[in-house]
Amino acid sequence: MFLRMVKGALFRQKGKMLMIAFTIALGASLATAMLNVMLDVGDKVNQELKTYGANITVMPKGASLLDDLYGIEEGSGVSDQYLRESELGNIKTIFWAFNIVDFTPYLNTKARLNSRNDEVELVGTWFSHYLNLPTGESLNTGMINMKSWWDVSGEWLTDQDENFVMVGSLVAGRNNIQVGDSITIDIGGQTKELTVKGIFDAGGDEDEQIYAPLRVAQEFTARPGLISRIEVSALTTPDNELSRRAAQNIKSLSIKEYEIWYCTAYVSSICYQIEEAVTDSVAKAVRQVAESEGAILEKTQLLMLLITILSLVGSALGISNLVTASVMERSREIGLLKAIGAHDGAISGLVLVEILVTAVVGGISGYFAGLGFAQIIGRSVFGAVIDIKPMVIPIVAVLVSLVTLAGSVPSIRLLLKLRPAEVLHGR
Amino acid sequence: MYFRMITSSLIRRRSRMIVALLAVAIGATILSGLVTIYYDIPRQMGQEFRSYGANLILVPSGDDTVLGYDVAERVKTFIAKDDAVGIAPYRYGTIKVNEQPLMAAGTDINEVKRTSPYWFITGQWPEADKEALIGQEVADLIRLSPGSRFTATGTDGGGNSFSRDFVVSGIVQTGGTEEAFIFMSLSDYGDMMGNSGGIDVVECSISASQTALDDIVSQISENIENVTPRLVKRVTESEGSVLSKLQALVYLVTVVVLLLTMICVATTMMAVVTERRKEIGLKKALGAANKSIVMEFLGEGLLLGAFGGLLGVALGFMFAQTVSMNVFSRPISFQSFLIPATLIISVAITGLACLIPVRNATDVDPAIVLRGE
Repeated sequence: MFLRMVKGALFRQKGKMLMIAFTIALGASLATAMLNVMLDVGDKVNQELKTYGANITVMPKGASLLDDLYGIEEGSGVSDQYLRESELGNIKTIFWAFNIVDFTPYLNTKARLNSRNDEVELVGTWFSHYLNLPTGESLNTGMINMKSWWDVSGEWLTDQDENFVMVGSLVAGRNNIQVGDSITIDIGGQTKELTVKGIFDAGGDEDEQIYAPLRVAQEFTARPGLISRIEVSALTTPDNELSRRAAQNIKSLSIKEYEIWYCTAYVSSICYQIEEAVTDSVAKAVRQVAESEGAILEKTQLLMLLITILSLVGSALGISNLVTASVMERSREIGLLKAIGAHDGAISGLVLVEILVTAVVGGISGYFAGLGFAQIIGRSVFGAVIDIKPMVIPIVAVLVSLVTLAGSVPSIRLLLKLRPAEVLHGR
Repeated sequence: MYFRMITSSLIRRRSRMIVALLAVAIGATILSGLVTIYYDIPRQMGQEFRSYGANLILVPSGDDTVLGYDVAERVKTFIAKDDAVGIAPYRYGTIKVNEQPLMAAGTDINEVKRTSPYWFITGQWPEADKEALIGQEVADLIRLSPGSRFTATGTDGGGNSFSRDFVVSGIVQTGGTEEAFIFMSLSDYGDMMGNSGGIDVVECSISASQTALDDIVSQISENIENVTPRLVKRVTESEGSVLSKLQALVYLVTVVVLLLTMICVATTMMAVVTERRKEIGLKKALGAANKSIVMEFLGEGLLLGAFGGLLGVALGFMFAQTVSMNVFSRPISFQSFLIPATLIISVAITGLACLIPVRNATDVDPAIVLRGE
């Protein structure tokens, strides 16, 4: 009997119930979309911030930035320190391997251009390198991914271009070099004729350098398999008190703190793990990038959180409002039920079950619509799929049922207080 | 008479009308709040992006090897006051500490704090005279810690040798070349090296869009002789791309939220009005013209929309302000066009949401409506 009454109510008032279900679906889809986007926005923005380039540099132990300043010739072979190219793949085997987005090795040497006296820096590097990892996986990495802001006229080099170079805009401007020209490079007496494939404007120190494929530079300088620096771009968690303490002195951490630190993607713990994986290396966080990333990431997440809360509150109020309105509308029917002897409990049960059935239908369709909205946002803003987080389902379910109950219970209680005669009379 | 009918109908049916008003107010709050945030995001986030440091540097051009001492002041005239986050001039030179050659940099410490907020200082920034900030590499090389003293020797611009004592106020870590420098105030540097030279480079951190920056660059190179302004591409280009993504995100979120909220408001209004089919039927039976019934409901709707809209403008701004203070610790700027915009939209939506059910009710024969079919 109860079932039949509920079914009757649902189908007789099809239009009205559909409208309630529709509104609940809208609210639920809003909640689903916003929660999914909010939970994923950190990862997505983090990816975007990778356009700022490397946030970790790895150098040989003992090598120092100071060398550059005094112009100590690297060719002199006195204090030269190098890393091994064969160990590069190890970077992708550390605990946080999945957070390493890109890495690029560099080999810097001083060279003379077109037999002039002033020196320029020749840099050997990977442009887009296909690498087989010790784990059996493979990966494509190199400088093209990491220097998105470079403005290249001509073309990027590939790693197979043995007789080509890319020249920085300042060097090119000073020496009147155009794309397609051939230049002579002289390193310690050895000369080589190379063709300029591209001229780049990096808006930084790189404009004073000449870039060649790593293998070319290694053969040229007789340093096979050696590199002088690695730039690593990694997804990191913003620093906190623990990571700052670890960066100062790892020994000050207790074993438990050490484990937390090691197993969190702080820039300092990734640096530490890289040092473990590459012999005789020092990995340093580029604070300009690492610090700012953290700040921007936190702000964006907080912003999205607050917007999400606003829209959740908004949709909650919207739903409960409509439920209240539609329950109150039924005063006459409830009056009639009471007049023919229905108990308060039976009436409340009837109305509640009706509303809840509608809410379930609306909530489920809303959830899937919300996933659609989230994907639209992800696609058009980040060009990537938003991860669907299962934890959103219980949140939305709890939200929808709480909100419908909150909307219906007070109005049902209000209706139960009415006297049937008055209601039926139409007052 | 018309006005009395509307107001009394609103007041008599208080509880329903509060429900409707609440719905409109929520919609308007979300509208004005989100749009305010959307408009302010580029400015607020732009400020945050300044933590990446200088985005414009000035270097000498032509035959000059240094810039004039007044260059920082002259550049300021081309940058709006609020946009200039920091403008730090640098002078570089070689000094010796314990017979080790090191690079010294004289700069305006207060400006550096603003242009390079990412510097990690162990100890403190220099405050008094004869205090210096040393890079991590320098500290490792000559084994200095905050509070310890060192003597800088060398020859100044005139060829005379000097010897000055400094106190290490702090050690700076950046992960970049700054770690190999000793930083001190311009006056200490001038006292040591003499003032015959000039500024080597000026770093500017400007909170402005790409086009505004290009504008500043062309103005500087036209109006100040012997200066080449260069944009730090890594910072400017990346900022542009990330910022536009963020704005697109907030834009889409705003559109989706607004769309859904407005539909929510409309359905609630529809529910409230549909309930009154009987009343419409009665009015028709008493001889009211369809037009006057529609006008009456429209009037109610508009009044509700206007009240709800006003409430929403105020609440929305409060919300946007709370968000801005929490996220960016800065007040948000009020967009005055939002008052009419929110009012018009909420009035339009309530009006529209009223019209549909009223139309349905007036189209039907009053006898049928009154019988409740």
